[in-house]
Amino acid sequence: MAVKVNHSKCIGCAGCVGVCPVLALTLEENKLSCDASKCIDCGACIKICPFGALSKGDSK
Amino acid sequence: MRTDFDAIVVGGGPAGTSFARKAAEGGMNVLVIEKKKDFGVPVRCGEGFSERWNQVLEMNVSDADLGARMKGAAVFAPNGKKIVLVNDQTTGYVLERKMFDKRLALEAGRAGATLLPKSLAIGLVKEGNKTTGLRALHEGVEKVFKAPLIVSAEGMEAKIAREAGFDCKYDPYDVDACVEYEMVGVKCEPLIALWFGNEIAPRGYAWVFPKGVDYANVGIGVGGSTGADPKKLLDDFIGNHPEFFGDATVVEVKGGVISVGAPIKKMTSDGFMVIGTAAHQVDPIHGGGIGLAIEAGLIAAKHALKAFESGDYSDAALSGYEKEWRGLEEEKLGKRLKLRHVIEKLSDDDFNHVFNETRSKDLDEVLNGHFQGLAARIVLKRPSLLKVLKVLI
Ligand SMILES: Cc1cc2nc3c(=O)[nH]c(=O)nc-3n(C[C@H](O)[C@H](O)[C@H](O)COP(=O)(O)OP(=O)(O)OC[C@H]3O[C@@H](n4cnc5c(N)ncnc54)[C@H](O)[C@@H]3O)c2cc1C
Repeated sequence: MAVKVNHSKCIGCAGCVGVCPVLALTLEENKLSCDASKCIDCGACIKICPFGALSKGDSK
Repeated sequence: MRTDFDAIVVGGGPAGTSFARKAAEGGMNVLVIEKKKDFGVPVRCGEGFSERWNQVLEMNVSDADLGARMKGAAVFAPNGKKIVLVNDQTTGYVLERKMFDKRLALEAGRAGATLLPKSLAIGLVKEGNKTTGLRALHEGVEKVFKAPLIVSAEGMEAKIAREAGFDCKYDPYDVDACVEYEMVGVKCEPLIALWFGNEIAPRGYAWVFPKGVDYANVGIGVGGSTGADPKKLLDDFIGNHPEFFGDATVVEVKGGVISVGAPIKKMTSDGFMVIGTAAHQVDPIHGGGIGLAIEAGLIAAKHALKAFESGDYSDAALSGYEKEWRGLEEEKLGKRLKLRHVIEKLSDDDFNHVFNETRSKDLDEVLNGHFQGLAARIVLKRPSLLKVLKVLI
C-alpha cells in the first residue's frame, strides 16, 4: 500500500513525515514520496495533512 | 571536501545553525547537512518571537534583523470579547524567517562551520553498535561523513533520530495542523492576535501576526486528531472578518504541522544529541519553537564542547545538555501542556464564561503557571467546570 500525494496541493511542510509510524514517507527537498513497501495504510498522514494533499492510494 | 568532522548536524534550522555556530566558535569542526537549497526557505511558521529570547541568542542583532515590533497580545474569546496582554512573553517581534534563518546560517559559517545545502541525510553509518557517521545524498550522489557526534536538528521529520532509536514519532493528537497565508492590505495593530473557539479552530486557534502596518501572517491551527480542514476554516475566518481582511490579498501560502505535546523522554545517547523541534521542544499553548530551538542548540553545543575537550562522547557525558535544558524549560512547558488540555476541553460557552471572569492580570498569572486564583473564581460561579479545571487547582 502507499498513500497518494497530490503534488499540486502539497507544500512540502513535512508534517506527515513525523506522524508516519513506519518511516514510509520522505520529503526530498520539496518532493514528498511514500515507500509502498513500508506503508501500512494507517491513515495518520492523511488525517493531519493541513492541505488535504494525501489520500488512500490504490495497491500497486 | 573533507569527510571527517567532530560533529555532524542534520538540519539547518535555528537549532542546527545555533549549535553549529557555538560549537565552531569553541574549536570543533562541524558539518551542517541541510536538504534544502536555502536556509530558512520555504517558511513554515507564524514567525512570532518573544522578547525573552533576545537574551538567549548570544548574537548581536538589531531591531531591523528581528522584524516587526510587537507591543503585546490580544486574545479573543469565541463571543469576540478581547483581552490585551502586555508582558515579556507577549511583547517581541514577528520575524522575517527568510532573513533570520539565513543570518543564523551566516554566523555559523563565519564561526567556521561547514554548511552543506542540497544534502539529504539518509541513514546512519555504524561500526558494530556504534554510530560513526552518516550517509547523505549530496546533489543526488551518496556520500559518507564521519564524526564521533551526530546532532539531530531535523525539526518535525526526525527520521535520522528515529533510526537512532529516539522516540520522536508524533501521535496526531500531539500536533496542530496549520494553514497560513501572508496577506497584504490587512488592517492590523502591532499586537499578536489570537482567536479561540471550537467553531473557529477545533482544539487550536486562529492568529494574526502583523509584519508591518498593512501585512501579516494570518493562520489557523487545528488539533491533528480532529480531522478538521484548516484551509477551509482559514478561508471562512478571513471571510467572516471583513473589518480586517476586506481589502487584503494573499502574497504567500505557508503552513505545516507543529508539536503541541510533551518533549521527548530522552534527548541523548552515545554519540548522539536531539535538539529543537526534533526533540518536541515546542510550547504546547501556541506552538512556538524558534527560541526554544536556539536555546537548546546553544546548550547542546556547550556540552558537546566539553565532550570534544575530554574526548568522551558517551551518553553520560552528553546528557548534561538534557539536564540543563530540562532545568530551564521543563516545569514551565509541563504547566502549559496542562493548561492546553484544559482549554481544549472547554465548550465555546464555557470559554466565554471563563473569559468574562478573566482580567489581563489573571492571564499574566496563568501564563506563568499560577492557575489557582482564576480557576477558583470561575468554579465558584460555574461549578460544572470543576471537573475540567481541577487539574489546575
Ligand atoms: C504553521 C506553523 C507556525 C509556527 N509559528 C511559530 C511562531 O510563530 N513562533 C515560533 O517560535 N515558532 C513557530 N512555529 C514552530 C517553529 O517553526 C519551529 O519550532 C522551529 O522552526 C524549530 O526549529 P528547528 O531548528 O528545531 O527545526 P526546523 O526549523 O524545522 O529545521 C529543521 C531542518 O532540518 C532539515 N532536515 C530535516 N531532515 C533532514 C534530513 N534528513 N537531511 C537534511 N536536512 C534535513 C529541514 O529541511 C529543516 O530545514 C510554527 C510552526 C508551524 C508549522
